[in-house]
Amino acid sequence: MQFTISTLFQQIINGLSLGSVYALIAVGYSLVYSILLFSNFAHGGFLVVGGYACYYLLTQWGYGVVISMTGALLASGITAVLTEFSAYKPIRERTPITLYLLIASMGVNIIIENLFVVTVGGRVKALPQNTFPTGVFNLAGGVTMSASDIISLVTAVVFLGLLQLFLSKTRWGLAIRAAACDIRTAGLMGINVAFLISLVFFVAGILAAVGGIFLSVRYSLYPQLGSITTKAFIAAVIGGLGSLPGAVVGSLILGLAEMLTAGFISSQMRDLVVYSLLVIMLLIRPAGFFGKKINDKI
Amino acid sequence: MEKILLEAQDITVNYGAIKALSGFSLKLMEHEIVSVIGANGAGKSTFMNALMGMVRITGGKFFLEGSPLSSKNYKIVRSGLSLVPEGRRIFTPLTVEENLRIGAFSRKNRNEIRDDYDWIFSLFPILKERLKQYAGTLSGGEQQMLAIGRALMAKPKILLLDEPSLGLAPIIIQNIFKELKRINEQGVSILLVEQNAKQALLLSHRAYVLQTGRLLKEGFSRDLLEDSDIKAAYLGQSS
Repeated sequence: MQFTISTLFQQIINGLSLGSVYALIAVGYSLVYSILLFSNFAHGGFLVVGGYACYYLLTQWGYGVVISMTGALLASGITAVLTEFSAYKPIRERTPITLYLLIASMGVNIIIENLFVVTVGGRVKALPQNTFPTGVFNLAGGVTMSASDIISLVTAVVFLGLLQLFLSKTRWGLAIRAAACDIRTAGLMGINVAFLISLVFFVAGILAAVGGIFLSVRYSLYPQLGSITTKAFIAAVIGGLGSLPGAVVGSLILGLAEMLTAGFISSQMRDLVVYSLLVIMLLIRPAGFFGKKINDKI
Repeated sequence: MEKILLEAQDITVNYGAIKALSGFSLKLMEHEIVSVIGANGAGKSTFMNALMGMVRITGGKFFLEGSPLSSKNYKIVRSGLSLVPEGRRIFTPLTVEENLRIGAFSRKNRNEIRDDYDWIFSLFPILKERLKQYAGTLSGGEQQMLAIGRALMAKPKILLLDEPSLGLAPIIIQNIFKELKRINEQGVSILLVEQNAKQALLLSHRAYVLQTGRLLKEGFSRDLLEDSDIKAAYLGQSS
């Protein structure tokens, strides 16, 4: 029994740690969805930009962790704003059909991915060993928690908390919540909606970069790393697309489900369980836990 | 002589091949209430949306106090126009307080904003009671009051209303129109678009009658109320 209980706790810790990284990505997804009503699949690309920016700032230019991470966050945020400006805005001005935005976002994702393949190569890179503290803490009963688990959990909580503060306490946060409800009417309030959309993409890009950096630490860095956002997307759908608390809850559920499956059944069954969860959710409650509107979700 | 506050010159709007508005002109003087009446599809809402920069105009110009009006939505609001949209369009997941606060988005002076809360509560006391409630829980009449209050929080020179009587009980419509009169007496000019021609004519000083995108008649509201054509077509009474 000792083995099972400690495995349970171990996998719960691992699941929360993984889920917190998913949450950072899923919240960015949901934020964009709540305003523009399309799933931005280029989000994975933003994440990769963040990862590589951090890698090169650390290794090539030799900056410290703080400056490198800040630079990565900015790089990702700016990429997101430029994507919106060059790929989405021209479409938005011509048609209200959001399906075209979805297709464009897939295109952007492919472009970003292959830009890295062509320029820096497809080979796997790892962030330097000393990027983050690497200690492992022994908890009771043989359960361990690595320093990077703790850092990613804490960072996720901090960034999600900051986002919550921004949305609930600031003038632009209120404007974003109003726009999520009715973007046309938001314009009637004297809100510069074009700027608001850029702001939302910037914030989503920053969150993607944080997720990207922690994914590169946990796994490694390669141009297709962004494909992991499929998981964050599923988490956002389970939680209810467009709902930020939903995205967090969905992410934690997904992280736990993956790690518990890996711990008690088999590592190879992880994705099977994840996609089964998605199918079950769509059958029982298509709007997700916190989603309200049951319209076409694209 | 009274000052011209808003002027629309030869406004034309096309939706594809359909002419929604052809060469419509309108003037609004300072302290005036002007209404635009007409049947469904006459181009009333198109005119409002064009004025607020939400619909692109094919021809014509808008002037506010003599200078051309911006075509950008948020700049128009900042220059002093504030619209109560058709169907109220309040932000239902936000509280009443947040709805009012967002109305004042483009303003900086906190003291003035605080005074305006009090002004709006004096017009619609129910909003003060409901302040912490989600706007979606309000009744239709209360939502309309909130929509008007929200528009006033922008401290507009001109308050624009698109079908404020839509879907409301007659007693509530009368209440709201009474408050609109008070708002006007406190110095806000009003431009009103209404299918409810009688209410609109009773409230406004002057009126324009639109028919399929063209001006049919204009004049003092009290004259239009007695006009036999208008009576027959819009007021539902034969002369």
